[in-house]
Amino acid sequence: MSEEAESKSTETPGALWRRNLWVWAALMLLLALSTWAAYWPYGRIDTAVGFGIAGAKTALVALVFMQLKHASGLVRVVAACGLFWAAILFALTLADVLSRMANR
Amino acid sequence: MSRADVEACLREGHPDIEARMREPWSDLETDHATAFARQRDGAAFGIWVFLASEVLFFGALFLTYTAARLANQEAFAAAGRETNIVFGTLNTAILLTSSLTMAVASQAADKGLFRRLTLWCLAATAVFGLAFLVVKGFEYREDIEKHLVPGAHFALSQAPAQIFFGFYWLVTVVHAIHLSIGIALVTRLAVMGWRDVDFLKENPQVEVTALYWHLVDVVWIFLYPMLYLPGRSG
Repeated sequence: MSEEAESKSTETPGALWRRNLWVWAALMLLLALSTWAAYWPYGRIDTAVGFGIAGAKTALVALVFMQLKHASGLVRVVAACGLFWAAILFALTLADVLSRMANR
Repeated sequence: MSRADVEACLREGHPDIEARMREPWSDLETDHATAFARQRDGAAFGIWVFLASEVLFFGALFLTYTAARLANQEAFAAAGRETNIVFGTLNTAILLTSSLTMAVASQAADKGLFRRLTLWCLAATAVFGLAFLVVKGFEYREDIEKHLVPGAHFALSQAPAQIFFGFYWLVTVVHAIHLSIGIALVTRLAVMGWRDVDFLKENPQVEVTALYWHLVDVVWIFLYPMLYLPGRSG
């Protein structure tokens, strides 16, 4: 808040790039890591690593690029709602699918 | 940033704010700066509601994939091995980079300080989006040549591999449509900002477009391990 008000007057294009470039670098590193991890001979662990890295990338994009980090409470609730309903969708459906597979 | 802060920030030195408002909102009896700050809040809130609905739309597709993959793990691994990981990885890198330029454009416009930087970043974002579609086009051509379209002449012997490629075609085309809409919206901002010096400054349309663009990127972030990484170690 006050920090942002200060940076508003002294903000330079360089500072703007630096604030975002490290996120881009981290995203590229994560992409390289997930590509490499897919070739590890560990089967299911590779899949888990792939989707775990996708989650980490999404967190970076959402918090920094989409500015959820600085968003109002209302916006954060809406963003969480999407995930919450999707979680219900996944939990109920997969409970059915997985229990059928286990009892086959 | 709380609304009071936003309102205080906006009230400080923008007497020309009326010109940027969608409606005068005179009924509410607020000053223009407050009304404008509320409209910006409303724009961000509205696009996030839309994005949450998009999460559910793509979530349902992803769930279908998950259920089919759990039931047909070997066929999905064999099918995943057939997609071109070079095109897939290149396109992921292109989209992640486009999100960087989009974020910089949005933040620069939000500060209202760097019009040229905003314009260049918007243009770069649109170009990266087009580059993604070009790469995807080459990939589609290769997929068709390899008979990876479900149907009578499908290349793989396992029948459930067709489910994988049914999903592949459906979801990549839906994603490409989303991206094309994004390119059109970003190009529109760039053209209007280039014509009108004051258009981009603090305009909520930039933030709304940027948020949509990032969501399309996030969808691809999940499609990457779903479509390109299965079966690579086998």
